[in-house]
Amino acid sequence: MRKKVQYTSTGEVVRKKPLSKRIWNHRGYYLMFLPVFLFVLIMYYWPMLGIRFAFFTYKPVGPKTFVGLKHFQSMFIDPLKAPAFWQAFKNTLELSIIKLLITTFASVIVSVFLNEMKNLFAKKTLQTIIYLPHFMSWTVVASIFTLILSKSETGMVNGLLVQWGIIEQSEKIFFLADKGWWRPIYYMVNIWKETGWGTIIFLATLSGINPELYEAADIDGASRLQKIGYVTMPALANTIITVLILNLAKVMNLFESVFVMYNIAVYDVSDVISTYIYRQTFNTFTPDYGFSTAVGLFKSLVGCVLVLVCNYLSKKTRGRGIV
Amino acid sequence: MAKEKASRTQKTTMFDIVNYIVFVVIALIVLIPIWKVLVDSLNQVGVYQFRIYPRNFTLDGYKTIIETSKLYTPFLVSVVSTVLGTLLGLTLATLGGYVLNQTEMPGRNAMAFFLLFTMIFSGGMIPEYLVMKQLGFINHWYILVFKHGINVYNLVLMKNFFEGVPSSLFEAAKIDGCSPMGIFFKIVLPLSKAALASIGLMFAVTVWNDYSTVQIYITDTKQVNFQYKLKTMIMDGDTPTTSYNVSQTTLYNAGIVAAILPFMILYPFLQKYFVKGVNIGAVKE
Repeated sequence: MRKKVQYTSTGEVVRKKPLSKRIWNHRGYYLMFLPVFLFVLIMYYWPMLGIRFAFFTYKPVGPKTFVGLKHFQSMFIDPLKAPAFWQAFKNTLELSIIKLLITTFASVIVSVFLNEMKNLFAKKTLQTIIYLPHFMSWTVVASIFTLILSKSETGMVNGLLVQWGIIEQSEKIFFLADKGWWRPIYYMVNIWKETGWGTIIFLATLSGINPELYEAADIDGASRLQKIGYVTMPALANTIITVLILNLAKVMNLFESVFVMYNIAVYDVSDVISTYIYRQTFNTFTPDYGFSTAVGLFKSLVGCVLVLVCNYLSKKTRGRGIV
Repeated sequence: MAKEKASRTQKTTMFDIVNYIVFVVIALIVLIPIWKVLVDSLNQVGVYQFRIYPRNFTLDGYKTIIETSKLYTPFLVSVVSTVLGTLLGLTLATLGGYVLNQTEMPGRNAMAFFLLFTMIFSGGMIPEYLVMKQLGFINHWYILVFKHGINVYNLVLMKNFFEGVPSSLFEAAKIDGCSPMGIFFKIVLPLSKAALASIGLMFAVTVWNDYSTVQIYITDTKQVNFQYKLKTMIMDGDTPTTSYNVSQTTLYNAGIVAAILPFMILYPFLQKYFVKGVNIGAVKE
């Protein structure tokens, strides 16, 4: 086996020093890493030890007893607990994936047409405006839309619908507590919040397109829309795939955006794994940390598989992993 | 020929007009909800109509927030936790990012794996809660600082930024007898001001906007942050009693404005730093 020869910036061959010497030479760096090491250990690795509770019954009072796979059994097949769990699992996938697809689609459309804008000042102003909602917390966004969609005297949407004679005063819609309305509203709020921010990555790709391609299309007599279809969109294809893959790894993480918008009337269509875990632990009088840890472990495992799959896909399509 | 080309690219066509109209609509869709909140926060009575300016101007909503301890305490908690969380986060991210760039350091790959593994797998909400409970971090606002102080994703971004610092600078400093700490403070940090600003903002936005951590770890109402207070006030009807005769809608909207104000003020000036973080993270080759 040939040894890899390393060179310094001045071109001399680096002779590797003995390991102990190299470690000693780097002592300053190890010391600098120590705080990071400790924080990661406590905040990330210590909780991983707690995963063992998935196989125990662990209540706030009373002893912890080993129960084997009982929690997984009740989670997957117990007629009392399984339906709510599977519903939450299904909702997680549906909400995340549909949300991901429509916000990505909206971002692509907006960035393509933003790219067509000739007036730089208008373009910059628009970018400033559409990035804005991204910096608002989910609490703020949910609060804004709760007030606007409210059924009370001050709800703008209901008020206008009545004023325009579309619905009667008595027919006001309680959007966020209506099973038919909750999901469309959730997607719309997501589009409102994240579309603008999502355009950044696409605009960066678009600014890298070789202008000669557009000139060639001009010479061939292509119209604006044809240029979008045959030059701009193909250039975006790779970035779209990248964005989808990067976000696919996160589909199980849905929590805050749902938590601040859902309520008991719409659990059927809105409850996701994390909110389910939360309620099973903090909203009951007799929580079993063991059971909620088991559900969490299932979520982590699915998330882990998704990350690895996405990592593999990412390496295949763009030659670079995501982690 | 050149003239003809110029005229072709300058000409405003039907396409451009439609494009402008579409974007005006998009801008309005984004701005109307925000504008309505702003106007309603300054209006004495709540109305459903959208108004350009408040008809019955009042500052009572904001005065109520400033003078009611149940509202200004959460606001102060948010401010302090954001400042401390950002400082701790930047410290750990820069230290970690700098050390990870030492390619000749023995054990570097193991350290990188130690960090990256946390991005793939986690203990989950409940084990984390139980550990924090064991450590006695429950029910204190400083959980916000610790929770966000370490962020592996930002650490990796920082490492990517540092990679851009020419390594010949380090070697020159080493030859001059500079210690690793010295190189870090005298060369790396001064050259990474833009990175520090971008990633610092990312930390600040995350801590300021955090709601879940408070919802999970804190039950003591004296320790909650402003986002949590806002949510319980607007969605769970937990409105504090005040000496002001302020309408509920005015107070709610003033609360929303207060929750977004710090970043809305900074945003126009720091937009490039806000945006930079994304591009480094995602677009980098």
